Amino acid sequence: MVSVKLVNVTKVFRGGVVGVKDINLVIEHGEFMALLGPSGSGKSTTLYLIAGIYKPTRGRIFFGDKDVTKLPPRERNVGLVFQNWALYPHMKVFDNIAFPLRLRKIPESEIRKRVVSVARMLRIDGLLDRYPWQLSGGQQQRVAMARALAKEPDVLLLDEPMSNLDAVLRISVRAELKRLQRELGITTIYVTHDQAEALAMADRIALINEGSIVQIGTPSEVYGKPRTVFVGGFLGNPPMNFLEATVGYVEDKPILVIGNNKLRVPDHYEELVRKLGLNQVIVGIRPEDMGIMDKPVPYRTIRAQVYAVEPMGRETIVVAEVDGSQVKIVTSKSIVLREDQDIHLYPSFEKIVLFDPKTEKALEVLYEEEKLE
Amino acid sequence: MPKSSVFSSKALHGFKQFVRSEASRFLALALFLVAVFYIIPICISVYMSFTPLRNWNIDRYAGIFVGLENYYRFFYLLANDPSVKSVFLTTAVFVALTLAVNVLGGLSLAIATFFVNERAAGGLQLLWLLPRMTPIAVYSLIWYYFFHPSSIGTINGILYKLGLISKPIDIGQGIIPWGAWAIIVFVNGLVGVSYGMIVFTSAINNIPKELVIAARVDGASNWDITRKILVPMLRWHILYVTTWQLLSLLTTYDHLFLLVKWGLVNRDYGTTWSLYIYNTAFLTGLQDQGLAAAAGVILVIVSSILGFITLKLMGFDKLIKPPRGDL
Repeated sequence: MVSVKLVNVTKVFRGGVVGVKDINLVIEHGEFMALLGPSGSGKSTTLYLIAGIYKPTRGRIFFGDKDVTKLPPRERNVGLVFQNWALYPHMKVFDNIAFPLRLRKIPESEIRKRVVSVARMLRIDGLLDRYPWQLSGGQQQRVAMARALAKEPDVLLLDEPMSNLDAVLRISVRAELKRLQRELGITTIYVTHDQAEALAMADRIALINEGSIVQIGTPSEVYGKPRTVFVGGFLGNPPMNFLEATVGYVEDKPILVIGNNKLRVPDHYEELVRKLGLNQVIVGIRPEDMGIMDKPVPYRTIRAQVYAVEPMGRETIVVAEVDGSQVKIVTSKSIVLREDQDIHLYPSFEKIVLFDPKTEKALEVLYEEEKLE
Repeated sequence: MPKSSVFSSKALHGFKQFVRSEASRFLALALFLVAVFYIIPICISVYMSFTPLRNWNIDRYAGIFVGLENYYRFFYLLANDPSVKSVFLTTAVFVALTLAVNVLGGLSLAIATFFVNERAAGGLQLLWLLPRMTPIAVYSLIWYYFFHPSSIGTINGILYKLGLISKPIDIGQGIIPWGAWAIIVFVNGLVGVSYGMIVFTSAINNIPKELVIAARVDGASNWDITRKILVPMLRWHILYVTTWQLLSLLTTYDHLFLLVKWGLVNRDYGTTWSLYIYNTAFLTGLQDQGLAAAAGVILVIVSSILGFITLKLMGFDKLIKPPRGDL
């Protein structure tokens, strides 16, 4: 098993379409890395570059210390699972799983042993005599996994393997796949556009947007400390709330002005706001990091009107309007609220993230970059 | 005969129901055309094969019934007339070889263009469509000059210039039978390749590209992919093209007619069954429509049997999937 390293990888397709640009990414030995991004962001392109299906226009790819940039897919020993699973329809399950082994000219008795053992691990050993079209979606997905694992790959590449499963099945397979990856300890790269999947399964997440990596980190890092507005808006359901604010000063202390509301600047940002000298900022608050109160607290609450209340069973989502823009608040309490009722939102100040409206980057990121220059 | 009367009354009842149904009104025009241009001519041909009709003298011969006389004559000629014998040998060789060229050629072209880049593939495929788009006479004329047994013939010209031959060779008339067979297989083979190529190309394009990518990642070469993925998945299309081409080759005679008429290929070894029928009915001194009709009826029977065998051999029934399991 190996680590995977991408160094300044750029892929430009025929016709000048840029797939990915300047990707730098290290996936450690045994790590479960999710490549997360909206469709067309270049996450699948990255996966295919690692698999060797695409050759990078520039940059290098390493498996461990070995430069595999120019190696064809078959010399990289990767297992690949596709969104549509790509099972060969004219072959039975057994032959599908045995296909990569037969290409390696492994003796048939050894193939039989390996197919049966991997099938048993994925609990499809009773289906070996069936054709793919005789299987349910979940079973087909297992067969595709078995085929990828039977060849004992160094790296397992999964291209949205669950998006063809129904929602309930997806959640049960999610845990199973995470557990399987841990037990096998196989370096795994998982492409998905579903932020919940990435958060639930991955050791680390690489967020990709418009062909570039926006942020790499553990699920709690990328969720709690988004480096850009995009990351905050992409992760979480409902995603982060954004409010435009003007920076003002009261008694030489910076404050945030949102419409008619005055809010103190969170302690960890006071220094940065001053240093960067910004007049405008975007305030990012996660829906679960806001409380609802009936009375205002000076410099601590934002006045809002209830727009709609969505009871979800375990939690309630309150949609409220602040100065013409909508925010969502997730609360566990079953509170009674009328539409258009005035409420006061009390954010957890230590969880607030401030962004620069021009670059859409978090202030600490902006500051670091300015310091470097 | 109580059983058969029950059956016929049932069939009659079904027919009456069909006539009254909306489906019959919907299909009326199509059924009418099928009847006029297909079923009635077949009936007339079958009827003609039982009459001594000749020189289109319908008044004199069409009313006479001679039983199996024409069929007897047909088999007698087949057994004793060397030129009729050669026609049937030619038919067998021509159909078998041209069919192989058509199907394997179309398949190889479709697969080859699948592995090269798309733009080159498009041009290459257009090139192979040219024979199909060229009028029959023009197309035949091109190959007439190509194989012409004089120094104006392209092949002879080239060979002569290269100093490989001292005088022109007459491939179609001089090298019997394989020279004549080579020419007719070549000319018809080129025309037929495009058909298989188009069917196979569109079928290959419908194979999800992930299957090929998956195989490649698993270490399959182009040859492995062709043998283990593409060809098995094209099974139904190969079966279809083979059957279709087999049946159309058994009945094709347009190019052959011109090549024989212009004297490029030997008459006996350039004539196939269907051209023989045409010649017998319309061209020979004594136009023997009765004999031609009998030969035609037998050709239809043989075609049907061969078509049935191809479908059986290639497992048509296996292609119909059993119902999905309990899932």
